[in-house]
Amino acid sequence: MSLPESMSRIVIVGTRSRIDEAIDALYSVGAVHLIDHITGADEGFSIGHSRPYTSKASERLLKVRAMEKELSIDKHTKAPSVPFDEISRKIESGGVESVDEEVYRVIDERNRINQKVTELNARKTDLETLSVLPVDLDLYSGYESISVLVGAVSGDPSESLKALESAECFISADRKKGGAVAVFVRNDDKDKASAILSDYGFTEMSVPEGKGPAAEALSETEAAVAAAEADLVAVGEQIEALREKHKTFLKAAEERLSITVEQGSIPLHIATSDYSYVVDAWVPTKQTAAVVDGITAVLGDSVHMEVQEDRGRNLHESEEAEERFKEAPTKMKNGNYGEKFEYPTKLVSVPKYQEIDPSILIGIFLPLFFGFMVGDVGYAIPFIILGAYGLKVAKNKDWRAIATVLFFGGIWAFLFGLFFFGEMLGMHFIGSQTATSTTWEVLLGVTFPDWFNGVIVGIGKLHEVTFLLKLSVYIGIVHLMVGYVCGYINIRMQHGNKAAFFEKGGWIITFMGMVLVCWALTEILFNGRPVEGDFMYITLVGVALLVAGVAVNFKTEKIQAILELPGIVGNILSYTRLAAIGMSKAGMALAFNYIAIFMVADGLGGMAGIIVGLVVFSFCHLMVWTLAILSGGLHALRLQYVEMMSKFFVGGGKLFNPLAIRHKQTKPVSSQETVSAKKSTTEV
Amino acid sequence: MVDVSTGTGLIAIGAGLAVGLTGLGAGMAEKDVGAAAVGAITEDPGLFGKAMIFMVLPETIVIFGLVIAILGIFVMNV
Repeated sequence: MSLPESMSRIVIVGTRSRIDEAIDALYSVGAVHLIDHITGADEGFSIGHSRPYTSKASERLLKVRAMEKELSIDKHTKAPSVPFDEISRKIESGGVESVDEEVYRVIDERNRINQKVTELNARKTDLETLSVLPVDLDLYSGYESISVLVGAVSGDPSESLKALESAECFISADRKKGGAVAVFVRNDDKDKASAILSDYGFTEMSVPEGKGPAAEALSETEAAVAAAEADLVAVGEQIEALREKHKTFLKAAEERLSITVEQGSIPLHIATSDYSYVVDAWVPTKQTAAVVDGITAVLGDSVHMEVQEDRGRNLHESEEAEERFKEAPTKMKNGNYGEKFEYPTKLVSVPKYQEIDPSILIGIFLPLFFGFMVGDVGYAIPFIILGAYGLKVAKNKDWRAIATVLFFGGIWAFLFGLFFFGEMLGMHFIGSQTATSTTWEVLLGVTFPDWFNGVIVGIGKLHEVTFLLKLSVYIGIVHLMVGYVCGYINIRMQHGNKAAFFEKGGWIITFMGMVLVCWALTEILFNGRPVEGDFMYITLVGVALLVAGVAVNFKTEKIQAILELPGIVGNILSYTRLAAIGMSKAGMALAFNYIAIFMVADGLGGMAGIIVGLVVFSFCHLMVWTLAILSGGLHALRLQYVEMMSKFFVGGGKLFNPLAIRHKQTKPVSSQETVSAKKSTTEV
Repeated sequence: MVDVSTGTGLIAIGAGLAVGLTGLGAGMAEKDVGAAAVGAITEDPGLFGKAMIFMVLPETIVIFGLVIAILGIFVMNV
């Protein structure tokens, strides 16, 4: 149950002539979250203009990105990182322009060849149509009193064309491919000929230039297409070579220039006057001194800094603040273990500055529930291995989150499987064989030492059903109570004790009352326990708490206070899934073990029986194991999201996003080099 | 042929109905929620967490059905 990091609002005022140094200083301290200036918020100040070097850097960035697109360099392309100052120097000495020239010489050549191939292919298609007609290409044109209609037809127009008296027709009809026709008619008959041909799906084409038979021209064109395509391949190789040659530079340059553009645009977020600038920013309270020192070290006397406020968690403070200062950013603070579970929290929403960050609670309960539902040594070990491997190699945050749950959930599953359920792959370690199930002792023909029997509780998932269901309900009660208490703490922080009591305290009382009443009812209805003695007092306390809780809630929630009561029971019963899903896994495992061991291995007998049995056994358990990820993982997560977090979590916060240079393709420079690199920042 | 009494048979049928009918109910509810959730996530992938909450709400019904079935079969000593 950790709160986001405390934030302080600081204001930094300095002389405008040293604004570039100030921007560098803001980036180097790495803990300054800018608050955007709003026009008219401070008299005499307005939003600044981007720095003069930004436009040149933007232009270069555009070139770099265009080249990356042409050379198919994207975020997945791997390239070594380059020292920050080295890439700055290269860019400064016109590196981008010279690479641009080199790359575009080849790209232009490729585009030219591409165009040529397109043209040649169009000519080839025309010639293919004409090659079936016995007319030389140069005979199609050059007449004064004769019109020539050349094109493709879908039918055979020979009969219809006979109507034209003085026409010379060349027709080649082919049902499948379609035919070609060339009609030479007097100029007067042209319209008539067109009308006849149009009935046969005539599409006129322009005859390609050339001499001699179309077939000859066709083979020449085909040779030209092949030559152009070979050129294209050669250019493709050149482009590939360029990609390899320049990818390191381009990726590093893109990062370097993006940083320059981002830094150069900082004045667009802050207030400036003719001679000064004002930066409003959020800084983590405990880093305030370090930030002030860091900036003073660079700017000396030409800067003045002041802490305006240390923002508390009471909502009145935010409500009274100016609009742009209302919302403090959330910097989640959960320690090494907890931060691994910030991802599931962010999937719902970023916590508000004034509320408990549920990540650590998810970190405790999610793997625990997952482990309880799986509860089997045989499934746990692959989970742990897979999770550890995922945590080692996975970069993508989705995969990392899944690997985290599998690893820690696997550990819990191992612990529950070994000590609590005493089970591996659906079979108990110790015990004797029954008609439908066996144990590892019987299967392997060994006897486990006595101390081993001692550490195992050996709860049968399918035998002690009532106990497991009750246990799940008790776990649920604790988990829900944690949620209710967090809700109380949140409201107490935001509005004070009184509001917290009426908004959340009532629910805590109702919840406790409901738990006692439900327990008493089950005792009376199922066990027939008489209402007397201590039991009667407990029942009465339960009823009293329930009534009191509803009364408190009624003040704020009206009729909702009563309507929500069945919801509480539903919430508690929802936790029975912990036992139910464990049981469904155990049920499947039992059935598969019966099939593999009793039906296949024993049924077939001998070596063949053992081999086929093992195959069936492995395949079936792989299926149960895969299902365990889905059902175990999703249900464990759901219990956090729906049952627990809905009791206190609101979300909708804004993530703390400090100004900082995030090196991926570039390497930070050592401190002596920093000065020269910063100088070049302004020139790049 | 397994030799069971009529009462045991009825419990088994009841357990089957409990899981089957609740599964059907949850399925009907989830089809609408799921379709809307996929639509919402396409618009804004950031809604995944919230969509998942709504998506999994109806399946509690199946869990209740499953618990009733388990209670029927195991606790009532079939």
